[in-house]
Amino acid sequence: MVNGYAPSGMREALDILSKTSAIPYAGGTDLMIQEVPADTNYLFLHRIRDLKCITVDAEYFICGACCTYTELLNSRHTPDLLKEAIARIAAPAIRNTATIGGNVANASPKADAALILMVTDTLVRIQSKNGVRIVPISDLYLGRGQIDLLPGELITEFWMPNNRAHLPHSYEKVGGRKALAISRVSFAGISDVSDGQITHFATAFGAVSDVIIRRPELDALLIGKSIEEAKVAKEEYLAKMDETLVPIQGRVSAAYRKAVCMNFLEDFLAKNGI
Amino acid sequence: MHKISNSVTKKDHDEKVSGSVKYVGDYPQIGMLHGKLIRSSYAHARILGVQTPELPEGYFLVDHRDIAGENIVHVVQDDSPAYADGEVHYRGEPIAMLVGPNEEETTRYARLTEVTYEVLPAILDVEESETVFFDYHYERGEMEQAFSDADQIFEEVFYTGYQEQVYLETQGMIAEYKEGHVTVRGSLQCPYYVHGAVAKVLGLTPDKVRIVQETTGGGFGGKEAFPSFLAAQTAVAAVKAQGKPVRVVFDRREDMEFTSKRHPSKSTYKVAVKDGKVTAMDIDVIFNAGAFTTLSPVVLQRGIIAAPGVYNVPNVNVRGRAVRTHTVPTGAYRGFGAPQTFFAVERMMDHIAKALDVDTLTFKRAHLVKQGDQTSTSGIYHYPVPLPAMIDDVLDRSGYLKKRKNYEKAGIERDRHGIGLSLWFHGAGFTGSGERDFIKAKVALQKTADGKVEILASNSDIGQGIKTTFAKIVASELSIPYEEIRISNPDTSRVPDSGPTVASRSLMIVGELLRRAAIHLRSEWREGEAQRVEEHFVEPEFMIPFRLDDFHGDAYPTYAWGVAAVEVKVDALTGVNEVVGCWSAFDVGTPIDLNVVVGQMEGGVLQGLGYASMEQMNYDKDGRIRNNSLSDYLIPTAMDVSHLDVQMHIEEYPYGPYGAKGAGELPLVGIPAAYVAAMEQAVSFPFSHIPLTAEETLVALSGQSAREAQKT
Amino acid sequence: MKNEIRFFLNEKEVVYTGSATARLLDVLRNEFELTGVKCGCKEGECGACCVLLNDQLVNSCMVAMGFVDGGIVVTIEGYRKTNQFRVLDKAFATTAAVQCGYCIPGMILAAESILSRNPHPTAETIREGISGNLCRCTGYNAIVKAIEIAANEGEGLW
Repeated sequence: MVNGYAPSGMREALDILSKTSAIPYAGGTDLMIQEVPADTNYLFLHRIRDLKCITVDAEYFICGACCTYTELLNSRHTPDLLKEAIARIAAPAIRNTATIGGNVANASPKADAALILMVTDTLVRIQSKNGVRIVPISDLYLGRGQIDLLPGELITEFWMPNNRAHLPHSYEKVGGRKALAISRVSFAGISDVSDGQITHFATAFGAVSDVIIRRPELDALLIGKSIEEAKVAKEEYLAKMDETLVPIQGRVSAAYRKAVCMNFLEDFLAKNGI
Repeated sequence: MHKISNSVTKKDHDEKVSGSVKYVGDYPQIGMLHGKLIRSSYAHARILGVQTPELPEGYFLVDHRDIAGENIVHVVQDDSPAYADGEVHYRGEPIAMLVGPNEEETTRYARLTEVTYEVLPAILDVEESETVFFDYHYERGEMEQAFSDADQIFEEVFYTGYQEQVYLETQGMIAEYKEGHVTVRGSLQCPYYVHGAVAKVLGLTPDKVRIVQETTGGGFGGKEAFPSFLAAQTAVAAVKAQGKPVRVVFDRREDMEFTSKRHPSKSTYKVAVKDGKVTAMDIDVIFNAGAFTTLSPVVLQRGIIAAPGVYNVPNVNVRGRAVRTHTVPTGAYRGFGAPQTFFAVERMMDHIAKALDVDTLTFKRAHLVKQGDQTSTSGIYHYPVPLPAMIDDVLDRSGYLKKRKNYEKAGIERDRHGIGLSLWFHGAGFTGSGERDFIKAKVALQKTADGKVEILASNSDIGQGIKTTFAKIVASELSIPYEEIRISNPDTSRVPDSGPTVASRSLMIVGELLRRAAIHLRSEWREGEAQRVEEHFVEPEFMIPFRLDDFHGDAYPTYAWGVAAVEVKVDALTGVNEVVGCWSAFDVGTPIDLNVVVGQMEGGVLQGLGYASMEQMNYDKDGRIRNNSLSDYLIPTAMDVSHLDVQMHIEEYPYGPYGAKGAGELPLVGIPAAYVAAMEQAVSFPFSHIPLTAEETLVALSGQSAREAQKT
Repeated sequence: MKNEIRFFLNEKEVVYTGSATARLLDVLRNEFELTGVKCGCKEGECGACCVLLNDQLVNSCMVAMGFVDGGIVVTIEGYRKTNQFRVLDKAFATTAAVQCGYCIPGMILAAESILSRNPHPTAETIREGISGNLCRCTGYNAIVKAIEIAANEGEGLW
């Protein structure tokens, strides 16, 4: 086709990617609002079945990068936390084409699905003609709109650890309205508390800075502690989080974003009895 | 209810539901040229030069030098040029138009056209404006006495923001010039306004100008005056195009940023209270008119006439000014100045009641106007005021009293609840003596020899259903099936000037003329003969003539009435709220079609809720509007307000068809006040501005001043 | 490599030979003259350009032509020939859900998309289903009601 490639298999796609400067086109919903030069070529990925898988194995919930939000919402394998976030993205027509891989590759701090992948420490499978690498999603983000992919590399799958994906969770989103709303602040938290011991605790903040904010080293302040111990550590934890959360001004002010983030965080602690 | 209220299938239903009707942008491109406006990059500047890139054959530039008539787009006063000549007065003001056969290429050449400027100082803040376009004043009673006798005096300032119409179809126009005649087809509300504007700019006699309204994808006031500008600009291009039609269709960003929108306002109220009653209101209203006068005088008139609200206040002093800033000219938007002042007066009354520690609804009820009372302009409420019964109905359906009491306790949960109520009117038809002195509406019915009847009027169906309601009226009087009555989009070469499609006047004024025309035709009906009957506007005899110089007399023949309760739920963690429900009651006289009227009410209510909450638009320090896309300027989706409950009350107006009054604008007018009243209760903070953001709400929840939050 | 994009458009196989990066919206309107597909924003924010692509509601402004290759596209011009449309048409007339009409072709296809997945949706499901289709005229009540009526009247069709 003119200005485009529509490979039917992964090998062919990676081959094209290695030889050309074609831009991978997953669902198109981010690409189509950008102005591109007339000689731009798209690499259409919708025919590649491998990129559409949704499955679970003993360790991971696995989904292909070109799964649309609708496909993920309709799958019984998709963890509830991810479904909660996806259900509040845009509106049905967008969810029917927009993909989870596109959401990640666009590297927006407002990416709602990516926020969930971040809080669950999801692994990203990246393929090129030369091989495969698997990296934690947090390593992928270099800055707003910048992602650590080499020429010829394609995000192909997400591996969300089962022991993170199904923990008690909290998802919050501030948008300007109830649908078709781009996040102005978003929050996701997961926690594992059994017999009064905190075995896991993770938080992530979206739409407040250049990248999604995830601070495992701070969340670690609460891990391994009993609820009572956590209550003691709470002040220090909140103070450090307060320090690390440096929002930027956008459609809403930095001060508002900060206040809401801290409110969500405190609320999440309270839900866990901390 | 009158049997005419029974709903029918709308005249335009079939062609619209099937997607087969053509809007301006839907006509085939073959043989048509595209126009792209080149606009000012500065809020205020002198134009030093305009330089196009080298243009291939078939592409050309149009500017003020191509104007054969006057470089003026006539609205009310003649101060706005079609194309800037020498100086630009707002960011986005049209300087020239690039015209060519290929749309993308035309846009590209327009972008490559360089305009050089000498930048001049721009005034963007109304407080700093030195140009007062209009300064109106009226007074009634003994102000000084009332204030010196007062037990208490309350003073407060209220602000409202821009509102953009966001009709789903953007502005669009097609102009064609052949053998000395010009035809302009467009998305518009007022064919004869456009007719006058095009004739003036081209220097043509009226008989050489033909304006056709194409199916119009929404207007809400945004296609009242603005299409005169686009039509004038496109017509000038068409003359230069020598026979080829020129089409201009705005993209969404262009439409949102550079077309007229609702005037931002600042209203200062000083109110005297004695023995628990309001005795005087001293009101000062300022509207930001933008760079040119356009419709500001008439918008301001309606705004200040409504300023004392639905209350009987013996002493009133009102001043209103529309001031110039170097920003996009503001203009007509459903409600036309009244939403701004009704927001202010309703908040004022609530705040006074709170300060007096009395129930706000009881306080308002004690001041309600009734039939026979004087209006703010010393006219008379000639007809019954059904507000008491409408309030009872809204209380009943909303559960207001119980909820108001329950929600009064400050919440500690994450969800905070509040309910508020507001009362308002909308003056039906033009303000003052416009119908009698300026419009002089005329309609005709044309009957063919085989008995087919066609309605000839210049009012356009922009979605509000006027084709349907007009046809129902004529069908009813002639006892002809409604389906057989013909009505097309108005074409000035065929229809008389029955006035513009504005001011909630079309049905009440023109509908009544058609009813009389139908009676006339019925009485003279001759089988097998072609016949034509005409009918002219006659002012009702009961009117106290309105004088504009001192705002004295009946500003409106009658009034439509509104009551609404809004309930909200506020998230204390974020300040984000949800409208739990909106229960409203409206009196627009007899609904000529219940579905049509209820549809107007529901749509207007949702626009009012958007105006008060999510619809935020502002300009930056360079006078640039940043909220110029549908992702930056949010309007309600189907999920935002799922409980929207409308009930009609009927107080017939004897001079409207079957008792109908004005309807279209009413529902929007008082909604913001009810919404903010609910927000005030939910977060225990007195708000004095719209739109009210989640951010300000959160600040209010944490005890700071919401105005301070807005400033930062 | 062949330079064609083939797809089914309103039940007819068609060939498109232009750029794969072009918008489906522009191609439908300009090349196939299917102007029932409306343009309201070109940013996926209004739903006026909605069509069905492989039985799913999509914003045609957000779809590049290469993505359509081998697909099945239905616009209002094709859909209006169906029995389902007849039911929706009548229901929209009953509630006067059509005002300015500009959102309606997209809205009708959104209704189809709702009903084909859930023949008896709740009002809430309907509101969610049309949440990407902005309407500035109606306040949505009449549209929601019309889709409820269609669900009842169209027994067995969906």
